[in-house]
Amino acid sequence: MSFTKLIAKNPFRNKARLALAVIGIAIGIATIVALGMVTEGLKASVEEQLMTGGADFVVMKNTTSESASGSYSIKDKRIDEISKINGVKQAAGVYTSSRMVDGNQLGFAGIKSKDLNMLGARMIQGNAYADDKNELILGKLAAEKLKKKVGDTVTFNGNQYVVTGIFEVGNKELDSIGALSLEKLQSMDENEGKVDMIYVKINKGADLKTVSKSVEKAYPGELTTIASLEDFQKADDSLQMVETASMAISLLAIIIGGIGIINTMIMSVFERTREIGVFRAVGWKSRRILAMILGESVVLTLLAGMVGIVLGVVGIEVIINLFETPLDLVFTPALALRALGIAVIVGLIGGLYPAIRASRLPPTEALRYE
Amino acid sequence: MNNGNIVEITNLKKGYDKGKIKALNGIDIQIRKGEFVSIIGPSGSGKSTLLNMIGALDTADDGLITVAGNDLMLKKDLSDFRSKKIGFIFQLHNLIPNLSVLENVIIPMYGNGYKSSHMSKRAMKLLKYVKLEDKAERKPTELSGGERQRVAIARALANNPSIILADEPTGSLDSKNGKMVLERLKELHEKENVTLIMVTHDMNVAAMAERTIEVLDGQVQT
Ligand SMILES: Nc1ncnc2c1ncn2[C@@H]1O[C@H](COP(=O)(O)OP(=O)(O)OP(=O)(O)O)[C@@H](O)[C@H]1O
Ligand SMILES: [Mg+2]
Repeated sequence: MSFTKLIAKNPFRNKARLALAVIGIAIGIATIVALGMVTEGLKASVEEQLMTGGADFVVMKNTTSESASGSYSIKDKRIDEISKINGVKQAAGVYTSSRMVDGNQLGFAGIKSKDLNMLGARMIQGNAYADDKNELILGKLAAEKLKKKVGDTVTFNGNQYVVTGIFEVGNKELDSIGALSLEKLQSMDENEGKVDMIYVKINKGADLKTVSKSVEKAYPGELTTIASLEDFQKADDSLQMVETASMAISLLAIIIGGIGIINTMIMSVFERTREIGVFRAVGWKSRRILAMILGESVVLTLLAGMVGIVLGVVGIEVIINLFETPLDLVFTPALALRALGIAVIVGLIGGLYPAIRASRLPPTEALRYE
Repeated sequence: MNNGNIVEITNLKKGYDKGKIKALNGIDIQIRKGEFVSIIGPSGSGKSTLLNMIGALDTADDGLITVAGNDLMLKKDLSDFRSKKIGFIFQLHNLIPNLSVLENVIIPMYGNGYKSSHMSKRAMKLLKYVKLEDKAERKPTELSGGERQRVAIARALANNPSIILADEPTGSLDSKNGKMVLERLKELHEKENVTLIMVTHDMNVAAMAERTIEVLDGQVQT
């Protein structure tokens, strides 16, 4: 048996204590993994939406600038203006709103029927709606959830709407919404003349950067353009907030887990005082005792890390499914590495004090310990 | 190691409780290489303290102590000295309960740079010597008191020490088991020329040694 094997073996001596310590730390790691999967999922979804849409970039209100009025909406006369900017082929205003439909909360995009290509949606059944009729189309997942097919009617806002088609984008979030006439959705919210974003398609051969820059220059401080995930993160700090929260929880998990591990390892060292005296008597250096206790601590937290990863993945999947959240969770190897890295750090930090204590026990005192 | 003495102790002193307890109060002892010495004396007379000094488990306050050519008054890290020169056998076997008998014998060999297969082979050889090769995979709790103490002997021999320090090795055993342990120790001394220093309460046991040193109130009786 090698020294490493001894280290791996020792934490399993007191199984009840091991289980308690592992669960304590695993919960922290699970939270980190779950939040990480949500963040990665959100990022992937934003990226997917940017990629799948027929638009080359999206124009949004610049909320970071000082001149921002605080409102997120854009006057819809900007749509026409932008469509005249050099290099712009098509500009489409989109207004979004969330509504109760037959007892289900559903997201809606208001967009002119002729601009539907900008969403990147493919009609898999039926046809698009007419802008002046009480008609709408549903994403594939939304239709499944509402159990509606082409020709059915849905009631919302006190009016009956006919489902004229079912579309698919290939993105969970977009496939879970419905789309209808821009004017109808605006007036439902009494928000006539306002859109949340403008989808822009550029001419063949035009340069994306040049065109988006000239849009921003035309409305300095008012509008910003988004063509990539980085642009989105600059314009919208919600992802940043989730990441900050995730960092804060990670730190908390390290502190709480660290305290738990200090306690566990001190107990373990205390119980094995005599044994440590024997190790010294047979010639172990205090360094070796230190390494053993630190190693045992890391074995314990690594185990907790692995349990935590499984717990986090399973837990967040269950939660997302339970609340029917339209989000594809993303688990990356980097996330697993981060979780295990945090576990190792907790093990090293938490094990340090007990290990130093064990290594400094005077051999004769340790051997006299009853 | 002048004049063939492996242990040279002169006027050695060790106090506890800020000097209130004089565990060793000016001890003088010389032990030759390969000698079998027993140490007797009443409880609390300082026998264990003395043995711990020779094994460099503790440091003295005053005096001179040289063991196997090492000046133990120089307060440096003596774990290498313990590992290479000394084998300890305690009254209680002090085996590690979650490790097998074989693994317990391997414990002192870490840090010698041996491969784990070599360590197992050597530990097996030592277990054969104490006639426990068939119990190598057992846990110490599954052995009798005498068997456990024989495992402790094998463990003490792990690194081929020149001195074996035994603190009442038969103290917790019945006479039959005690005899078996003592026979192993005596044989070790006779065949391998190991220096054997044994603390005991039992006069009959003490009589097995070539020389008996009596300790009283932290001093050698003459
Ligand atoms: N760590 C310590 N702290 C305080 N006093 C100690 C310590 N170790 C030993 N002593 C005291 O030193 C004296 C000698 O102790 P020691 O253990 O050497 O006796 P001993 O001869 O081995 O006795 P026994 O036969 O009972 O084992 C005793 O009075 C003991 O109480
Ligand atoms: Mg004693």
